[in-house]
Amino acid sequence: MQRLLIVFLSLMLGSAFAHTDHHGLNLGKKATELKDSGKKAHKRPNMSHTASLILQRKMHPDLLVHKRDKTLRQGVRGGSVQLKKCVECHASVDEHDEYIPINAPDQFCSTCHQKVGVSLDCFSCHRTTPAEEI
Amino acid sequence: MSIIRYEQIQGKSLGFYALVAGLGAFILAALGGVYFMEHNGHWVTGMNNRIVWGLPHVFALFLIVAASGALNIASIASVFGKKIYKPLSRLSGLVALALLAGGLMILVLDLGRPDRLIVAMTEYNFKSVFAWNIILYNGFFVIVAVYLWMMFERRLNKFSAKVGLIAFIWRLALTTGTGSIFGLLVARHTYDAMIMAPKFVVMSFSFGLAFFILVLMSSYQWSNRPLGDVIVNRLRNLLGVFVAATMYFVMVFHIGNIYLAENNTVAMLLFDIDSIYTKLFWYGQIILGGLIPMALIYHPMFKGNRSAIGLASLLVLVGGIIQMYVLIVGGQAYPMELFPGKEVLEGYGTIVIYTPTLPELMLGLGGVAVAIIAITYLVKFLPFLPESLADEVADPHHQK
Amino acid sequence: MKKLNRREFIKGSATSTIGVATIASGISLTTFAAQPKETNPVTNEKRWGMLIDTNQLTEENIDDMVDACQQEQGWGGEEHSTGHQQAGWIKKLKVRDTTTGRISNLALMCQHCEEPPCVDVCPTNASMKREDGIVLVDKHLCIGCRYCMMACPYDARSFVHEDLTNQKEHMPRGKGTVESCTMCVHKVDKGEQPACVASVDSDAVIFGDLYDSSSKINQTLKKIQSTQIRADLNLNTAVRYSGV
Repeated sequence: MQRLLIVFLSLMLGSAFAHTDHHGLNLGKKATELKDSGKKAHKRPNMSHTASLILQRKMHPDLLVHKRDKTLRQGVRGGSVQLKKCVECHASVDEHDEYIPINAPDQFCSTCHQKVGVSLDCFSCHRTTPAEEI
Repeated sequence: MSIIRYEQIQGKSLGFYALVAGLGAFILAALGGVYFMEHNGHWVTGMNNRIVWGLPHVFALFLIVAASGALNIASIASVFGKKIYKPLSRLSGLVALALLAGGLMILVLDLGRPDRLIVAMTEYNFKSVFAWNIILYNGFFVIVAVYLWMMFERRLNKFSAKVGLIAFIWRLALTTGTGSIFGLLVARHTYDAMIMAPKFVVMSFSFGLAFFILVLMSSYQWSNRPLGDVIVNRLRNLLGVFVAATMYFVMVFHIGNIYLAENNTVAMLLFDIDSIYTKLFWYGQIILGGLIPMALIYHPMFKGNRSAIGLASLLVLVGGIIQMYVLIVGGQAYPMELFPGKEVLEGYGTIVIYTPTLPELMLGLGGVAVAIIAITYLVKFLPFLPESLADEVADPHHQK
Repeated sequence: MKKLNRREFIKGSATSTIGVATIASGISLTTFAAQPKETNPVTNEKRWGMLIDTNQLTEENIDDMVDACQQEQGWGGEEHSTGHQQAGWIKKLKVRDTTTGRISNLALMCQHCEEPPCVDVCPTNASMKREDGIVLVDKHLCIGCRYCMMACPYDARSFVHEDLTNQKEHMPRGKGTVESCTMCVHKVDKGEQPACVASVDSDAVIFGDLYDSSSKINQTLKKIQSTQIRADLNLNTAVRYSGV
């Protein structure tokens, strides 16, 4: 049993490290600006920023699914988990300063999803770029 | 009493491979059609927001209804104790499973999001007739599979009657459920009537048997096995009764609609000569699928004529598909009565024209091909067919 | 690039495990951070409804309502869909009494039934009704079977027949799923009026809480004669009409 546990944990460890390798990851326009300005996005209390980021990376599907059901079915609005906020920060712009769809190849969402071979279904319905400022 | 010996067909002839290749081509065309429809979206089909279920559903529901009917032969033997049908039981179970598989394939591949099939299996709304049907279809597969096992395994033979009874009840429930998909649509006068459920049951008797007769006759013909008149004539008479019963139910359904003034749009379906659905109803469903087969079955001129029986079965199937078309597409084409006593001048209320497209047709035919190819292969690998159904084997007490 | 040390990793993954457990038990995640607060779930103490007075409602009003709906929700610009394939969340209807010849114009959309047939028939629970009576499609669960469209007595639902891009942020829409009027739930939750209601400047269309006896809609419905379309079906619609 313990052996199994060790095997399981080391597999988890491996996957976690694999994901920390975000060298060259396209963070998106606003997220890059935030990072460069030294702001600690996704920072949770009582946790280092790096650990917060790992948590965010590992848990983003659960967080989104949890919130989507609350919003749609119970009308719970606002809060920190909102898909449009993901898109707002993590969408990149092209040379004409226009937003590139976040699910396009090599954009923030698709980079990882391609790598781990998980389909990305959010954007068959959801908007892929930040809404224009009104 | 002679013992029935079941044997696989050889399946090595050129004809066998030609059949498989032909069916395979249909299946490939169907998959191509599905890819085309799902890649582009349903705008490439003739379906729209008013005709939401089109040709694929016509074929799918036809096959599903026929599936439960094909099991009847086995039920007559095991539930009602008619020994002469006993040798046909295995084939009956096989045809039932194959038809259901073909029908469900169409239904699933026409979904807007077939990739989410898993959602349909994990999220159940127990108030939904559709969800009941998902359970009924899956259960049918399991029960008929067990039933076949009981028939194949000699030491389990003694249970086959009991399992046969369960299968019989289940298939009645299944067709009732399929009919209720329409019968419980309270909003639409063209459907809202629980007579739909027994009507579907009777339709299943007739479609399933017609398909079964065709499979039986062609497989014995092509594998050069003897098939006696005793069995064929029994099946022929049974088909005649079922076709008549189906027409009776259609008549009762429409008399009800004509009599109720609120259902005048439904009655329109019968007397609006300009409408395609009216033509399909009279020429296709009633004449081609009802009266001509009855004549072929009962007229003394065709007595003992195998081709006439084959043709009658084929016409019952064609008429059945047309009947489904009139029921499903015709039922949606006429507007719902939103404002009793008022007419809608603009915005809603026209009779919708539906023009099916090639990919839809290919998907429908592909489902039929899946059913036939499944039967073709399985009779090659498992002993479904008795090596002889000559009169002296089928009915030893038969007097020449 | 910053290397992750072992200690931090363990802390991180432990917290993430707690996070999963927290989600599983349904307790909110607000313990994590001092972030903007979420609003409370809606309750059945309210029931949102609409009253359309066809005596006051002009044809221009109805056109404005349709335009406002398209603007707000982003439907109507489908490239490939033709004829009845095009989305129609709200329709303009002209109705004539066959005996008297009296003509009324009205806007027809999802009637947000208390007993919605679409919710009854949906095999996957994608069609759903919120506690406050607004009927919606959960497109995360919709498999595109269109049974709800068969069941709807008002022809209120549309199926998305093609790929879409550039949707509104608050209104995800996608190929292969069914959609209909949401009573502008995103605005209602912020305390605003639905777009179509806001586009009519007279009292021809009133929106509000049907249960609240101090609301304008409740008081008007108490005073005047109104009807529900297909009242025979006993669906208790939230959209009421007067003058039809």
